[in-house]
Amino acid sequence: MSHEPFETLAAVYAAGALDGDDLAQFEAHLPGCAECQAAVREAQDTLARAMLSARPQTPLPAVREALVRRVERTRGAGRRAWLTWAAATAVVAAVAAGFTATWVAVRYEARLGQMARETAAVKERLARNEAALQEQVALYRGAVELLRDPATRVVDLRGQGTAASASGRMIWNDAGGGHLFVAGLPPAPAGKTYALWTISGGTPRAAGLFGVDASGRSAHRIAPEVARGAVGVFAVTLEPEGGTPAPTGPIVLASK
Amino acid sequence: MGTPGGDLIRVMAAGDRDAFARFYDRYAPLVFPFVLRIVRDRADAADVLQDVFWEAWRGAAAYDSARGTPEAWIITRARTRAIDRVRAVRRRGETFVAPVDEATVGAPTPPGGDAAVRAEERQLVASALAQLSQAQREIIELAYYSGLTQREIAERLEQPLGTVKTRIRLALARLREAVTPT
Repeated sequence: MSHEPFETLAAVYAAGALDGDDLAQFEAHLPGCAECQAAVREAQDTLARAMLSARPQTPLPAVREALVRRVERTRGAGRRAWLTWAAATAVVAAVAAGFTATWVAVRYEARLGQMARETAAVKERLARNEAALQEQVALYRGAVELLRDPATRVVDLRGQGTAASASGRMIWNDAGGGHLFVAGLPPAPAGKTYALWTISGGTPRAAGLFGVDASGRSAHRIAPEVARGAVGVFAVTLEPEGGTPAPTGPIVLASK
Repeated sequence: MGTPGGDLIRVMAAGDRDAFARFYDRYAPLVFPFVLRIVRDRADAADVLQDVFWEAWRGAAAYDSARGTPEAWIITRARTRAIDRVRAVRRRGETFVAPVDEATVGAPTPPGGDAAVRAEERQLVASALAQLSQAQREIIELAYYSGLTQREIAERLEQPLGTVKTRIRLALARLREAVTPT
């Protein structure tokens, strides 16, 4: 390997941005290369001088006072005595430092792993949220498009029987299909689902199955293929999961 | 100019508290805007500054002028501590931030925001950086202020890793001209 790539790595290293294999490679190279040591030193000095070139701002005097008090305390204990003690225990300290470094490294690894997992989880959640939002936007856009057509009708559905407090609104176009919005419907019991029927001339035609969310709401799109001919009445019944060719269960919502 | 910074550190290492006070008085007003630029909160910046200068006092004996200037010595410490602080604040924040808000955390401040805040931001920007092109300044800020690694920068800017490395090197070369007295 020529030396040229190391000169680039030296700059990135000085900026604190080297990572991965590049970092390992450069750190292995650096101790034996006076040229790179000089390049790093020079780049770090450049960065330091640049970073210190903002307009000076004196921090609050309290910071200085607190530091000076702390410094006084280290002197009070006798710095020379402390140094002697430090020298005497240097070996012990070095061993302890070794253990601490290992411990910190292990902890850091774990921490980094955890952060990576957290980041991945957040990304996944954002992607899910975005997908859900886009789905919703598409749904509403479809409804708005439909409403632009003067032939589109808006039909109210009323709750029936046990679901008397439920309500629904159908945006319907005989040629373009429709959108059903439902509120106040209890979630379907296990093994059951809600089914929408379009009734023309007394004959019910299946127009899809749907569930409701925890708050009893639902938005259900009816494909244009389902809209064949003029529809007189819309009804929602509770049916076994998978649906049935003709309504069998109780009616929970119906238009007049 | 007084005693050179390197000599101040050597006297500090010998336990001279007046040297520490002079060291603080010389460098704190320069380091403070830098730390504030990274942590963006005056109370946090004051905390970080205190840690940085306390470490300088404790670690003065380890300073080796052959390995770097006093400015590089103090700024490297300040950068590490400031970025640590930002990450710690962010981690604490995560528990309280609703999922939807997380998407906006990294979003840039909208133009036309608080004029006073923007004026303060401008004051914190190192004047040497103003001599770089917009793209060069951005890459140095991402690396040095935001603490992103080359791979993270490549991902953020949607550029090949090799391009990012070269750009950092070129930006540093330009910065060197900017800080070299003519």
